[in-house]
Amino acid sequence: MVKVAVIKFPGTNCDEDVHHVLKNIVGLDSEIVWYKEYTTNRYDAVVIPGGFSYGDWLRAGAIAARNVVMERIAEDISRDVPVLGICNGFQILVEAGILPGALILNSSGKFICRWVRLVVENPKGPWLSLTRDHMMLDMPIAHAEGRYYIDEESYRRVVNALPIIRYAQGWNPNGSLYDIAGIADEKGLVLGLMPHPERASELELVPRGFSPGGRIIFDSLAYSLKKGW
Amino acid sequence: MVEVIITNKKAVRDPEGETIHKHLILRKGFNSVKSVRAGKYLLLTVESETPEKALEIAKEICEKLRIYNPVVHDIEVRLRG
Amino acid sequence: MPLTDSEIEEIRNILGREPTVEELAMFEAQWSEHCSYKSSRLLLKLLPTTGKHVIVGPGKDAPAVELFPGIAVVFKIESHNHPSAIDPYDGAATGIGGIVRDILTLGAKPIALLDLLYMGDPKDPHANWLIRGIVKGISDYGNRIGVPTVAGDTWFDYAFNIQPLVNVVCVGIAPIDRLVLRGPRANDYIVIIGNATGRDGLLGSSFASKPLSGEDEISAVQVGDPLMEKLLIDVIQILVDRKLVNYIKDLGGGGLTTAVSETAADYNLGAEIHLDKLHTRQELTPLELLVSESQERMLLAVDPDNLPKVVEVLENYDVMFSLIGRFNESGRIRVYFKGRLVADVPAKELARPRAIRRSSKPPTEALKGFTPIVDVPQIESIEKAIIAVLSSPNIASKKWIYEQYDYEVGARTVIKPGWGDAAVLRLLDGSRRGLAIKGDANPRYTFLDPFNGSANSVAECFRNLVAVGSKPIAIVDELNAGNPEKPEHFWYFEEMLKGIAWITEELALPIVGGKVSFYNEDMYGKQIKPTSTIVGVGRIDDVTATKTFDFKSSDSVIVVVGITYPELGGTEYLYRVHGLEIGEIPRPRPVLEIRNAEFILAAIKRSLVNAVHDIGLGGLITTVIEMAIAGSTGFNIDVSKVLCRGCYRLDEILFSETQARYVVEVDRDKLETFLSLANEYNVYTSVVGYTSDKPTCIIRNGDKEVSIFELDFLKNIYEETLDKELE
Repeated sequence: MVKVAVIKFPGTNCDEDVHHVLKNIVGLDSEIVWYKEYTTNRYDAVVIPGGFSYGDWLRAGAIAARNVVMERIAEDISRDVPVLGICNGFQILVEAGILPGALILNSSGKFICRWVRLVVENPKGPWLSLTRDHMMLDMPIAHAEGRYYIDEESYRRVVNALPIIRYAQGWNPNGSLYDIAGIADEKGLVLGLMPHPERASELELVPRGFSPGGRIIFDSLAYSLKKGW
Repeated sequence: MVEVIITNKKAVRDPEGETIHKHLILRKGFNSVKSVRAGKYLLLTVESETPEKALEIAKEICEKLRIYNPVVHDIEVRLRG
Repeated sequence: MPLTDSEIEEIRNILGREPTVEELAMFEAQWSEHCSYKSSRLLLKLLPTTGKHVIVGPGKDAPAVELFPGIAVVFKIESHNHPSAIDPYDGAATGIGGIVRDILTLGAKPIALLDLLYMGDPKDPHANWLIRGIVKGISDYGNRIGVPTVAGDTWFDYAFNIQPLVNVVCVGIAPIDRLVLRGPRANDYIVIIGNATGRDGLLGSSFASKPLSGEDEISAVQVGDPLMEKLLIDVIQILVDRKLVNYIKDLGGGGLTTAVSETAADYNLGAEIHLDKLHTRQELTPLELLVSESQERMLLAVDPDNLPKVVEVLENYDVMFSLIGRFNESGRIRVYFKGRLVADVPAKELARPRAIRRSSKPPTEALKGFTPIVDVPQIESIEKAIIAVLSSPNIASKKWIYEQYDYEVGARTVIKPGWGDAAVLRLLDGSRRGLAIKGDANPRYTFLDPFNGSANSVAECFRNLVAVGSKPIAIVDELNAGNPEKPEHFWYFEEMLKGIAWITEELALPIVGGKVSFYNEDMYGKQIKPTSTIVGVGRIDDVTATKTFDFKSSDSVIVVVGITYPELGGTEYLYRVHGLEIGEIPRPRPVLEIRNAEFILAAIKRSLVNAVHDIGLGGLITTVIEMAIAGSTGFNIDVSKVLCRGCYRLDEILFSETQARYVVEVDRDKLETFLSLANEYNVYTSVVGYTSDKPTCIIRNGDKEVSIFELDFLKNIYEETLDKELE
């Protein structure tokens, strides 16, 4: 049976939400794994959920990124295990150098909790297999250090090669460069995004004017684990 | 150029410094680091006739505008270089 | 506040000898107002605290009420007023920490936070600094521990410029058979878990039991550590799930002294404590170890057989701990430091002092609440009045605040801030069941008329819960008052309490817990506006059937439920437009509240309404405008259709804050059924107008047009007021 690991660091707080969607909404066998207990070659997919690992001290994700569990996860990535980093998870992947760029303080200087509209570009890989190019998805953000930064040269190199999720026109909440809300590696195997798909997978949690755009990410994983990608 | 360094007073907890020390530095084996204090660093570019005057202005700003909270913070104001 | 001479004499009698310096410190911490409630204990007996669904009532660490068969909701309120006045960021943050730990003591899972903030005028620089610090403190701490802040109440008033009120609430859920209700046994180990003890917060409770002195108050300041708090939340869930602990207590006000003595006294036990075993940050004297209020610490009573498993869990999750002693049957607290006995006191005497009967006397200022409003000048411009009221920081959108809070974490928040009269959360147990939660207060009402003012706050909370479609089941309250040693301050406290006692009985709403915060005055002895904060929980059978207040369609009917009286005394309108804080405030109307509430719930249940909004601050017109802005839908109403007894002036109809009223939106084809249901319930209704497909808000009085506004114009005022004041 396929098994998904949901990693928990001290300070991670969205693990139960992600586990709930994977298990109860999408029907995958999911397990919350305390960071000390993660072993390689055991899971078919990994999600690093949101929260404030190590209190976001020093920089968001900075301390977790240096933990040995990230080396184990990098090993599994080389075995083609899909990895999704949500919010703090994305920050950790970026601090660990697995995804390009950096995530810094929102341009407003404040924490923002708000629903936004996103657009998917160049979808590839297991997390976006059911999406189409230019598909719009709605999800909420909740972060203080969500402004995506990448230098111009690196951007030019990646912009056509990597799957990118952008804030739709007019929806950029935090000054992210190139409106980047999420980015994946070349194969789309590792995807990181600041908005929370697990909070947008059920109709009863969606406010008026939006739709549950997060569900498709998890459905894509379930589909891809069965059919390949 | 005037540097302003704001740290928690000695008697006040510093969970940021403690966490960086315990979960990052010590965990990676750097036992020679005995403690870490975290704070905020501001660099002010002040136009004035003398460097001493610039220092004075910076100190006044920190007090009047509550750049730091004197109840919990220590502040060091010094000239750069 | 230091012990009085008579208190010291009493201690001598209890011990039969001179107390040691450690024993004196223990008594001072425990007998301080904040911990012992000596000024309020007698009067608190007036409150109706029992009901068939009440599982744990007042007096314990956290109240618990049966929400559904087999499921308990645990919720509690706490104030952190004094620390927030000198260090707003850490004061507010540690307030959140403390209230969450209280919920953990029953083994419940914290699922929501509320912040009820009564702060100064944003135009005052010092108050502005306090406001921003308080909100950031709650945001940084609450977000990190992963508990969503889903609702609140905010009030801006010059009376709180120096001493703000920061009341915080935590709500938890647990299966009833999982609640940790047993209690410690003799022989149980006493394990302290969480952060190391330091010199912070020495005698913090005693600090909260005296007015602000303006001197260096640093020893009362504690810095929160939300990372450790999150770890505590996690390990306690695990320990309770595996049934490894007999009792859990928070180390809050009074530190170790209070935690051990209250536990021992409550369960007829004694304890033996070895202070040198406690894990610390720095070298501390026995006295300091006994009364330090370092944050994020809890006490566990562990059966010796379970200790190894408990240690395993704590070590795995990086939670520091120390084993400092055992409970026993002696009835005495014996404290040792490196083998030396430093304190030996009887637990029950330490934990329960005699109550003090305080005298109470109405101040002359109280006459303001008896002054009938007769000579309010006619206003030339209704437009200007509406704009003034809508742009009041007490009414305008609080988005600047709530967008700084993660209100979505936990995947339970169905009705989010800004959409409904109360927050609605689902249980996330596979069913559609859930709860509603809201907090309310009106400092102006309680300042003018503390009895009726606090009664109205209970009614407002009740209406807000009903408006989203929930059945109110219990409330908790926080009474914030001045100096209990001054009869003219104590009078307000007494009257507020009596008002709550009266109306909760009338509404059959048990008050399962509450707190009192005294000494809320500045260094000149001026008290804040006395404030009674009421927080209520409502039961919801189907979260998908709850109602938000945004207008849903552009051709539906707008109906006012309830009857309006000309009650402008103490209203937001009277203050914002005429600069007056005076008058007989709107009367509480419990009979109408019950009747109208039953009707509203029935109408919601039968899907007869699209949107429901309770009428509160700012009156009828504010309510309608808020519904229009939220729904991005214009309207056209005729105020002459409002059923009003004795209203002669337009402003009386628009801005009166008469109780027990709602505005609802009804589809045209459901109107007849709706109105006949109202008849059945004996409820007054007035059809006042229609929503519109044009983005304009038209207010008429019969044939005359009173005002027309562009919806966007009103929306901008409403949404940008706080941004402008606080950015």
